Amino acid sequence: MSAAPTTPPKTPSKSWTVKVREKGVEALPPERLLPDGQPTYVASWIYVFGVASIASLIVIIGSGCILALKGPAWWHYTGVGHFFNSIHMWSVELFFFVMVVHLWGNYWMAAWRGGRGRVWVTGAIIFLVAVPAALTGYVSQQNFDAQWISTQAKDAMNSVGVGSFFNLTNFGQMYSFHILLLPIAVVALVSVHVLLVRRNGVVPPFELEKKLAAAPAASRRADGPPQASTGAQT
Amino acid sequence: MGAIFNLNHPAHTVDWHFIHLSVANVVVIGLMLVVFVLAILLPFPHAARRDAARRGGGAS
Repeated sequence: MSAAPTTPPKTPSKSWTVKVREKGVEALPPERLLPDGQPTYVASWIYVFGVASIASLIVIIGSGCILALKGPAWWHYTGVGHFFNSIHMWSVELFFFVMVVHLWGNYWMAAWRGGRGRVWVTGAIIFLVAVPAALTGYVSQQNFDAQWISTQAKDAMNSVGVGSFFNLTNFGQMYSFHILLLPIAVVALVSVHVLLVRRNGVVPPFELEKKLAAAPAASRRADGPPQASTGAQT
Repeated sequence: MGAIFNLNHPAHTVDWHFIHLSVANVVVIGLMLVVFVLAILLPFPHAARRDAARRGGGAS
């Protein structure tokens, strides 16, 4: 007895995986997620600082993983440990340096224009979460410097009424915040931030936006993000 | 071998009204401002060529 070939059901699938996939592709089609190029206006140094922030974040996480694997004795008492300790600290300095320039650039070009409010807000939250991520590193050093900072910071936490939630002199708690909870939050928020940039397109300069607004609607691509409506890709 | 910078002293600070900053932080803030201005003013490599290609009908 031969079984008849089964035909796929005509009704839409109720599977949650299919629904998630369809919603995902609808929100962020592959050609928008990984585009062939960027608009010509992105060829400016001021647009470089976002990816520079991500690059320095990668160095931070890479050097931090090595420090976590080797431990405090290694980073305090060996030459290579000192080297990676310094790489970790200076990559954090660089991260905040380029992130602040990125923030200034986007503030002065009003990067929340054109429905990009969530891009701006996630960027602001990343900055706010990155600050304690870095500061918990100061109290995770396992030296007298960390001891001094933690006792000072403990008083600061108590003075603002959150001392019962964060014990700055508890190395285990601070280390967990520094190498697990806050880095996960930063990386997750950066991922959402980048996906929102892909979805909405990079904000155009003011003068280009005026030209686009004046252009007839028929000349704009309705299916693409705002960046695609400039027509030019680099 | 001694350090390039002697750090064995209290930090030098800049004080102006309520503003109280270490010189190191003032230097970093100054550098950020310089980099910000340069990022706006300096031309990006090959930007003119890309713009010319676009004006010449290279739009996708």
